[in-house]
This record gives sequence, structure tokens and C-alpha cells, in this order.
Amino acid sequence: MFNESTAEKLLRRARELGADFAEVYAERWKKRNLRLLDLAVQEASSGIERGAGVRLFFGTQVVYAYTNDLSEANLLEVTETLARLKGGKGQVDARGAGGLDFRRSEPRGLHAPQVALDERDKRWRIERLAEADAAARVGPEIKKVELRLLEWDQEILVANSEGVWNRDRRVRTRYVVTAIAENEAGMQTGFEGPGLGVGLELFDLAPPAEYGRRAGEQARTLLGAKPAPAGPMPVVIGNAFGGVIFHEALGHLLETTAVARKTSVLTDKLGEKIASDVVTYVDDGTLPHAWGSSEYDDEGAPTERTVLIEKGVLKSYMVDRWGSLMTGYRPTGSGRRQDYTFAPTSRMRNTFIEAGGASIESLFEGVELGLYAKKMGGGQVKPGSGEYNFAVQEGYVIRNGRVEEPVKGAMLVGKGPESIQRIAAVAADQKNAPGMCGSLSGAVPVEVGQPHLLISEIVVGGEG
Amino acid sequence: MTLQEAQTYLLERARERGVELEVLSSGSRELTLRAREEQLEEITAAERGGLGVRVVTEGRTGYAYSEELTPEALDWMLDEAVENAKLQSETDGFLPAGRSLGRHDLLGEGLSAPLDEKKQMALELERASKSDPRVQQIGAAAYSEREYQTEIASTKGAAGGYRSGYAYLMTSAVMAAGTSVKQGWEVKVAREIAALDPASTAQEFIRKTGRLLGARELSSGRYTAYFEPQAFLALLAPFISLWSGKWVLEGKSRLADKLGQRVASAVFSLYDDPDHPQGLMNAPFDAEGTPTRKVHLLREGVVESFMHNTFTARKLGHEPSGHAARSYKGVLDVAPHNLIVAPGAGVRLEDGVLVTDLMGVHAGAKPISGDFSLQALGLKIEGGEAAYPVENFTISGNFFELLERVVAVGSELEWSVLYLAGASPTVEVAEVAFAGA
Repeated sequence: MFNESTAEKLLRRARELGADFAEVYAERWKKRNLRLLDLAVQEASSGIERGAGVRLFFGTQVVYAYTNDLSEANLLEVTETLARLKGGKGQVDARGAGGLDFRRSEPRGLHAPQVALDERDKRWRIERLAEADAAARVGPEIKKVELRLLEWDQEILVANSEGVWNRDRRVRTRYVVTAIAENEAGMQTGFEGPGLGVGLELFDLAPPAEYGRRAGEQARTLLGAKPAPAGPMPVVIGNAFGGVIFHEALGHLLETTAVARKTSVLTDKLGEKIASDVVTYVDDGTLPHAWGSSEYDDEGAPTERTVLIEKGVLKSYMVDRWGSLMTGYRPTGSGRRQDYTFAPTSRMRNTFIEAGGASIESLFEGVELGLYAKKMGGGQVKPGSGEYNFAVQEGYVIRNGRVEEPVKGAMLVGKGPESIQRIAAVAADQKNAPGMCGSLSGAVPVEVGQPHLLISEIVVGGEG
Repeated sequence: MTLQEAQTYLLERARERGVELEVLSSGSRELTLRAREEQLEEITAAERGGLGVRVVTEGRTGYAYSEELTPEALDWMLDEAVENAKLQSETDGFLPAGRSLGRHDLLGEGLSAPLDEKKQMALELERASKSDPRVQQIGAAAYSEREYQTEIASTKGAAGGYRSGYAYLMTSAVMAAGTSVKQGWEVKVAREIAALDPASTAQEFIRKTGRLLGARELSSGRYTAYFEPQAFLALLAPFISLWSGKWVLEGKSRLADKLGQRVASAVFSLYDDPDHPQGLMNAPFDAEGTPTRKVHLLREGVVESFMHNTFTARKLGHEPSGHAARSYKGVLDVAPHNLIVAPGAGVRLEDGVLVTDLMGVHAGAKPISGDFSLQALGLKIEGGEAAYPVENFTISGNFFELLERVVAVGSELEWSVLYLAGASPTVEVAEVAFAGA
């Protein structure tokens, strides 16, 4: 990537050019992708991505450059260009003097894979994926099964003008099963996509037969689903990927990216009661082998477990270096980026609502007419107003406390700060699920999670 | 190695190994200037490049790419691509016969301007975006430009490239009036800096977001929906795959057996124009070197063509349509260039809801079933006029039914690159299900 002497020259030069802080980041990825349709390989692809990003702070002003050319000459040239783009004084001061004395740290291998990606050949992968294909065919309605496998092996190196020199390695594996069911009523899809910070042991930790069957059953269920009821009503949200609602409606509002610019409705609310008593919300970058974990963040800071909300009270935001500079809040190891083409910003890692004390059955009791959002799809939020929406992938009508017929096309719509006040009860079956989160610094792997929980009222959009 | 040298190296190695190879390389440059509180808060400058290969051996196709241009990385890439090809059971793969494609410059001096002028545009955009007292916080006000050079070459003799690019102004901010808070945005994209104007972009932002303040709940029911161009393009974007030759081939498209049949209202036409004077994604040839041309996907409600690359076209017995798409990191697919909803006789607002923005399109629209359920923002229209803004509601239904219910299409095109590169007028659709309070 780059050596110590290059980093030192670059960082020193940046300081001479007037930067208050300088950072150089380099990474190299090996990625492999495989897509099968009805077990026939449609595309197989492999790639190397490699690049570097130089980031300079002038006060709170940030200049960033990225390049694929990691030669010393080019990295120094990039640094000069950045200072030129910034403009201003154009004079050199003496602050670049003195050695940097990097404090080197290597990853401890907390999330290291047990079965490395090159330990098995590609045919082995196809055989394991075939287990998902077979299991997904739960009935004659299942017409097609699509399988995708992604393997990422990322090595990073971050050095900065405060003497940080950190390496990290992140190996992540994920497969996605999509089952397509068809009958006279139309076509529907079911979907499961387990992923972890592991190597090929993923196939043992998340058995393809189990996830395949779930995808198939989901597609078949949706074929018989009626349009969802519409209007405001109580909603029980399932565990695991159900957590996407608060990822969108709450998590994004607690990133300093929004808070520092005061574009989040939850700005300046530390210590205030913002959610109902039953809500404790945590962002944990240290969970072993979780999809969103790493030993260091993309600014070279160690990741940590950050309690965001405790029993309804806001305890912390998610803070990166720039966010800390702007707000004075302590950095939380939350600086993340998709890759070298993005400067890091504050991002979620593995974010979930902690287990509560209610039984799952008790959530449904007393609901006269409501929606059980067993499995969520994706969603979106506007942090400035807190308006969010997200799709229900697998939903059922609740009538008089009982889960009845499946419904399709339900969309949950609301304002995050209102919905978190309306969490009436939280069950104990806390679980996480992986996803990709898109924001200012690109798409990063995260986990979302929660136990089953009851929200007293959400607007459900549907046709019925 | 440079990209050019790497390309030559790969073609030589492929010939030695007796495999067919197509190299797609791309080099790009980016400059982004983001203003906040009358300062440039963030500046990003970048140059990157990489190349990707498609290898065909014994009718099997494999892919690999690299951003590291060393002989070791390129050899690894070729080995992986051949290994990947051998996994395929499909043995009808081929590389199209190539020819010299020439060198094209679609950008010219469009982005040439002194750096200070670009900085001033970002600063002016921020200033102008704050000019209304209801604007609370600026999330971002930025000038950004991208320039790229795409090259293809193959062992079948394809060789050529083109340079293109664009610049845009983007502002996003929170506006408030009383207890009503709305976050809005405005983006203006052009191939020439001269076509960008910070003051008018800021005014558009203030107008579009300001009109939504004080929104009320909307009662659930069926209303006539007047989709503004941006909202209609957002709705259309996830369903474009229905015209993908690849989807048709893989049995995922419900339009597969509808060629020549009427599936939409007769007032609705949809076409792709790769050479439009205002087109932001113009291209002289596609990712396989097939010359591009104007193609109607729907003409007066009738399915006229799918989008094809040479493989999907041959498999389905159609003509290639110039829609092969591949980034250097990606695999062969199909995609539109500039997708255009043909302007019609005009829309007259009477009673219904003017839909100004849709959210959650990536999650709430299911291209396979055609079902959608999307959060929307808009204005209630009564007696031909905007009566009041509405919020907290969704629109839902099925895309195929929606196409049949198009009543009228506006006469003026508005361009966008947000959900897809293309243009649309306002589109009026009868009897759309709205769910609100």
C-alpha cells in the first residue's frame, strides 16, 4: 500500500501547507461474485480494487482526494493539489517539523475467518448454494431460484499526523436467495440474505437449506396475499431485519453527519427523554464476526459498543473525527466509508434495540385490527424532518389478537421521533440481520436488529 | 502501467492463451466543492481508473477486473476470468464481431472554467438557498463535475472510445414554518457549466420545498394522481427492468410475451434516445461496441421493443438494440441511455393530488410482480388549483394497471439523473390508491 517514509513525507508536507490534521488511507480488496439462476452459473466475476485517499483538515474545512496510483510521487502530488484547491495563504509554516513516531497497531484477528476464502474451490461453493436452491422449491409454485454469493477480503491501512498507524483486515461473506413464485394471481418473490464477517464457514453458520426454505415459503405465502389494509393502526414488527425501521427512523438521526449540521431533528437532545421507557438502543462495532464489525474504523480509531439510548434517554450520538471537531462530542469509532472513493463520515455499525421483558404473545393481545410486519424490506428517511417509509416484505393482518391472512404491498410511513415514543412493548427475542446502508460516504455493511415489538400506531399504506 | 498499456498487455496474453477477450476500461476525474456557512466545507478531487475483462472460451463467459495495473494483478485477473468462465453451463456465449469505433468527444470544453468560478458557484448556491427566512439549515450546497473516458477493445477487432462528462449543482436543506418541517433538495445537471445557474437552482429548491410546508393529512381513497416529472421518473425507474432483454430471457419480466401488444394507455409512449441534444448519458456505441439508436419501448401503449445486448438479442431472435451495459467492475447487462416519456397534448389539473416526490423507491416497488407502495409528498388539487400540501401518505397499486390508467401526458420535458437518466413531462393517472390518515 504505502510505507512509513512515504506516509511521513506526505503528512509532514500537508502540515507545512497549513493543514491542522492530515490522514492517508489505503486499501486493497479482493472481491468475488457469483450469480446462479436455477443452478446455472449466469455470471462469475473476480476483482481487485485498490486505492488511496488523502484527507486534510483546515480547521473544520475538509479537503479530500483519492487515486488508484499509490506511488510516493503521486501521493505527494495529490497532497499538493489538495492544498492548491483549498487556496488561501499559499505559504509554508514550520509546523511540519519533528518526527511522527507512528504508534503501529495490527489487528488482533477478532473477526478473522476460520475457513479462508481460498481454502475451497468455486465448485464447492456451487454445491453449497445448491442446497439453498433445493430447499427453496417448497412447491410447484416456485418457478425460479436465484442465488448470489459475495466474498470480500479488504485490507486497510490508515496513518495520520497524530501518529496513528493502523492496519485492519475485514473478510465478509454473504449469500442471497431469491425465490420466484408464480401462479394465475401473478409473480411474487421471497428473499433471504445471511451475511457475516466470516469466510466460507458462513455456509455452516447459516445453513443454505434453512434460508432457502424460508425464501421459498415467503414467495409462496405472498402469492396468496391480499392487498394490505390502509390507515393508522397498531403494528407488531418482527425481530432481526425488523430493526431496519429504527435504523432508518432513529439511527440516521443520531449520526454527527446530520447532528453537526443541525439537520437532524434530534440535534442537541443529549440527556433528554426521546423514546419510550422500554427502548434501549445500541450501536456495537465489536460484536464478533458481525456483518458490520471491524477492529478499527476507517479513520483508524478502535471500534466500540456505544449505548445511544438507555431506557428512552439519549446517551450518545455516533461521532467521527469531523463530527467531534464540530460538536465537541467524544469520537465513538464510527468513521466509515464504502471505499477509498469516499471520505469517511459517521455511520452505524451493528445497531439494535436490546431485549425487553414482554412475551411475544402479549404483543398481539388486545390488538383489534393491526398489522404484523413479520419481515421488513428496505426503507428511507429524511433526517431533517424524521419522515420515514419502509416496505413490509412479509405481513399479516392481526384481528382480535390473532395473526390471520397474509397481506402484500404494505408500507409503513411516519416520523421517527413520533414512532419511537409509541413503542408500547418490547419482547426478549433480540436478533440481528445484515444489510447495506447507503449514505454520504457510500454503502457500508451494517447489521440492524431488535426483538419483536409493538408500536401503538403507524400509518400503513396499502391498497385495501 | 497505464490503462492503454494494460489493455494491450491483456489482449496479447489472451491471444497467447487462445481465449476471446473484451477489455472495457474507464478513467474518470471528479471535483466536488461543498459550501456551508459561506465557506467551502469540503473539497473532493479525484482521479481513478480500472479495467474489466469479459473472456469467452468454448462458448463460456467469465469476468474479472482490476484497479491495480501490474503484470501480476493482470495475470491474476485473466486466470480468474478463465476459471470463472469454466463454471458456466451456458455454452452459447460469444464476443460480437468488432470493428474500429473511432474516438469521440462528447464533452468538449463543457467543464472548462477557472477553479475560482466553480468555487463561487458553490458559495453562491448556498447563499441563495438561504435567502428565504423559512430555510433553517443547509445540509449541502455543492458544485460537482465528472469527466470520464471509456474505451473498449477486443480480440475480435473492436477498438474505440469516447469522452464524456457532466456538472451539477445540488442543494439540500430543511425549511420550517410553525411546527411544519420539510427537508427538500434540488439538483440541476448539465453537460456544460454555462447551463448551470446557482440562483435559479436555489429558487427552485425554495419553491418546491416551501410549497409543502403546513402539510395536512390526506384521507385515504382513490384520487387522480398528477405525477410531476421527477416523481414519475422515480416511479418508472424500478420497472425499466421489465424491458430488459436479460430479464425476458431469464423469465423475470411479465412483458416477455407482450411484444406487439397494447399494455398501456394509447396516450403513453416511452423511448430511449442515446443522441438527444440535452441527453446526459449520450453514447455513440454501447458497452459491446454496438452503435446506439433511438428505440421505442412503448409506442402509443404498445410494446415495440426490449433492450438488448448481442447475447440477449441472439438468444431471443431479435436485433441488438445498442443497450449493452457494463462498468469495468460489472458484468454484461442491458440499460437505457436517456429514457424519455414522450411529451403529449398536455395535462390540465382539475381534482386530485399533485405528487411531487416519492420516497423509498428501492424498497417499495417490486419489478417482478409490478406491485408498488411508496411514500409520497404532494399538493391536494381542488377546482384546478393547489388547495393545500399533504403528507404522511402512500400511493400503491400495480405498475401494469397504472400504465393502463394514464389519462394524459404533459407537453414539457424535465430532465433528471436521480433515479434514472432521462426526462418526463407531468403524467396524469386516474384512480390511484392513496393511503393516509
